[in-house]
Amino acid sequence: MFEALVTGIALGCIYGLVAMGFAVAFLVTRVINFAQGQLLMISVMVAAAAASAGWPSVVAMLAGVACAAAAGALTYVVAVRPVLASDRFSFGWLVTTLGVAVVMENVAAIIWGPTSRAFPLMLNGTSAHIGSATVSWQQILAVLVAFALLSAFELFRRRSIYGKVSMAVAQDPEMASAVGANTMVISVSAFVVAGLLAGVAGVLVGPITYANPYLGDTYGIDGFVALMMAGADQPAGALVGGVLLGVLNNEANVIINSQASAWFPFVVVVLVLLVCPRGLFSGEVRSWLRGVRRSLVGVG
Amino acid sequence: MSSIVLRAQFWVSPTRRAWLARLGYGSLGVAYLAATFGVARGSLYLQGLVLVAACFAICALSLDLVAGSTGLYSLGHAGLFAVGAYMTTIIQAQMGWNIFVLLPLSMVAAAVCGLGLGALSLRVSGLYFAILTFVFTLVVGVLLSDLAITGGYAGLPSPSFPNFRGALSGLGSALAWTVMLALLVAIVVTWSIRKSPMHRVLLAIRDAEPFAEAAGVRTRVVKVMIFTLSAALTGMAGWAFAFLGFVSPGQFSWSVSVNMLVMVIVGGMNTFLGPIIGAAFVSMFPASLSIDPLWQEVVFGAIFVVVVVFWPRGFMGVVSSLGRRLAPVQPVQALRSGASGASGEVSSVREESALSLYNGKCVVSRVGSGPHGVAVICRGLTFHYGKGPAVLKGVDLTVRAGTIHGLIGPNGSGKSTLADLISGRLRPDKGTVEVNGVRVEQLPAAERARHGFMRTFQSATLVSELSCKDNVAVGYYGRVGGIGSRSLVWPLWPGAQRDAELLSARARAALASVGAAAWTEVRVADLPHGAAQLTQLAAAQVSEPRTLILDEPLTGLSVREVDHVGNVLRSLRDSGVTIILIEHQVRFVFALCDEVTVLSAGEVVASGEASQVHGDPRVREVYLGV
Repeated sequence: MFEALVTGIALGCIYGLVAMGFAVAFLVTRVINFAQGQLLMISVMVAAAAASAGWPSVVAMLAGVACAAAAGALTYVVAVRPVLASDRFSFGWLVTTLGVAVVMENVAAIIWGPTSRAFPLMLNGTSAHIGSATVSWQQILAVLVAFALLSAFELFRRRSIYGKVSMAVAQDPEMASAVGANTMVISVSAFVVAGLLAGVAGVLVGPITYANPYLGDTYGIDGFVALMMAGADQPAGALVGGVLLGVLNNEANVIINSQASAWFPFVVVVLVLLVCPRGLFSGEVRSWLRGVRRSLVGVG
Repeated sequence: MSSIVLRAQFWVSPTRRAWLARLGYGSLGVAYLAATFGVARGSLYLQGLVLVAACFAICALSLDLVAGSTGLYSLGHAGLFAVGAYMTTIIQAQMGWNIFVLLPLSMVAAAVCGLGLGALSLRVSGLYFAILTFVFTLVVGVLLSDLAITGGYAGLPSPSFPNFRGALSGLGSALAWTVMLALLVAIVVTWSIRKSPMHRVLLAIRDAEPFAEAAGVRTRVVKVMIFTLSAALTGMAGWAFAFLGFVSPGQFSWSVSVNMLVMVIVGGMNTFLGPIIGAAFVSMFPASLSIDPLWQEVVFGAIFVVVVVFWPRGFMGVVSSLGRRLAPVQPVQALRSGASGASGEVSSVREESALSLYNGKCVVSRVGSGPHGVAVICRGLTFHYGKGPAVLKGVDLTVRAGTIHGLIGPNGSGKSTLADLISGRLRPDKGTVEVNGVRVEQLPAAERARHGFMRTFQSATLVSELSCKDNVAVGYYGRVGGIGSRSLVWPLWPGAQRDAELLSARARAALASVGAAAWTEVRVADLPHGAAQLTQLAAAQVSEPRTLILDEPLTGLSVREVDHVGNVLRSLRDSGVTIILIEHQVRFVFALCDEVTVLSAGEVVASGEASQVHGDPRVREVYLGV
């Protein structure tokens, strides 16, 4: 059970990175990119193909992440920008981003074949012992990378002028462009960051899942569920949501039965959405907690 | 130009037109039956293709009702579809119930899911509606593939469908007739809603929700009900689909929800034929394109993107813009007559207004609490937006019944916020609002409208794709009973024609009375700003309110039109209406109003008789700057 907890956290960081990608893109453009999972898949496939072509595995992985970022930018330019340009409040992106996902998945299946292929091992598959649990260094790396990326992102968002401008674009793109922000560049960057996050998640999970063109569906859905638990515009919350989802998945498998991870997280997300429709880390829950604290202090 | 002149104008008498319409619908019905007969006698391949398309056409029609007309993008329709299909299959297999008993049961089950989803999610924004319905489809998918009773990933075989016996057996497949009949039901229901005045109300909810609420539409209730109806129709589609071979989780996955949305968009959102054409195209597309299945998916995905980016209004949009290019008559003519007729029309309309709305029996009902009673009392109103500073700080306001009360003050002094608090768009943090002796500060806007309380908005909020007349008719919504419940079978309902004509006549008269008769048939999208303001005024007063709040009604009007609006407001006051007028044109305000209140930085500076306030030195200081 303790081992399930630790591996759950590691797996959850992968979900969390995908969910963070969703949240970053949503935060700036108010669009949920349904091709987010496919960005992870692209990174995995490209890295696997490059490695099998004889590239050093680090270079292959960097190539994978770069391709995922480029695919993120492409998604924005092809499928999101034109829709929002004609009507900022249109929901057409629901359909276009899904169209992009379908195209990416099937083009990958055409190029690399629909079956799984090997993925280069990282850190030679060695493992460490934490208490009673055996954890691979690969999994520890996933946790470290995820939290490093989150801290870097939050620092960038809060401290740099680009981060602040991005928040302005999120609030009101017309106003932001009136004061000189280049909304196009900012929005593309958000999708590039989303692609980077998914790409990194991809190379971290690749050694476990192997490379498969249909990876995007599974991880896209898991990332989306993590996002829904946290609240759509909370990148930090999204990572926590991912970890929560990973732990729930693993513990459900251990405690309930080996199939429980297929449905148990959905029960949790439905309950979460019923109680707080905007997610666990949304403003309404925070202000509610603040109210509780205040009333407790008041009573004390 | 010449084509406009040369175009022949056919005049057809109303009785003849009704007769022609009946003939048209009759022949369409016969054609539908003939097509059904062809399918029912056709090959199994043809039947499979058409019947699956028909099921999806029902889904697409019902989805367009929420997505196209009401602006609610549901991603839950695959889940609702699954509820209908699996319920039918499972109950038939386990308990052997009659399949025709299962039809209403499937519809009710899907409707209950829709009601729950709608009630839970529509308290938050439209995006969360999309997300929650998406999660619903995910959850249904997980249940279908993981429960034992649903047969897991393999799915379940269909229950058998009885065949025609005896004399009827020549008709061919009974299943084909049933499915096509179900589609016909969906077609009639959606067509009827599109024909009824309810459709305009739905569009108003989609494009101008504050306007709909101010007109007395309980928008949340309407949204939940329309989604419930849509869910029930989708449940019917699921019931029909259950007999077409087998059901398995893959047929109801979340991507199917998006496919349905694609059907609606490809065909044309908020059109009658669009969803049917889109459903036929999307569901028959894989069969018509015999290439490698992977490439087929690629083409499919690319079509999603290309259609939404290049033809966001879909096939019907392309057709209608082609049609407009071939015969560009209507809008041009209307606009030209509007522009040239406006100046001459105003004076002639002035007389007309005297005999239209204000002389009838309505006057009696309006003089509620007597000419010297008090219509609106606000006490200690305090309000702030979010975490910001207080916009209103303890505002007291007394408006006597049957007077015009001016509300002036510099920009940002809280005038529009006060109007929002009185009309119910916002709730005060502290303080009370009393209208005709009733405390209303906790009532939603729609309820206040039903108590004879109407308003206009500073920036015109109207449905841009409807004509002025249709927009004004939305304002009369509360006065004609049962528009919502009758809309399902509107054209068949006794009195529907009469009510439609009443709405239309009232809207025309109201537009004429404010001097906007020339714009009656013009789409709001083609209106200048001033005419949009006049349309708002007409929509607010068409239902004969007792109290009227006008938020800067003169913006964009010509001098002549300003004079006319002044006369309209005076005659409204003389018939007993209480008017609260927010306006920047000080000369107009002091000439017209009986009493004036001056706001500055969220506080009342002065209030009282117009002449007194005008002389108040503090008012001159803060507002007039003299």
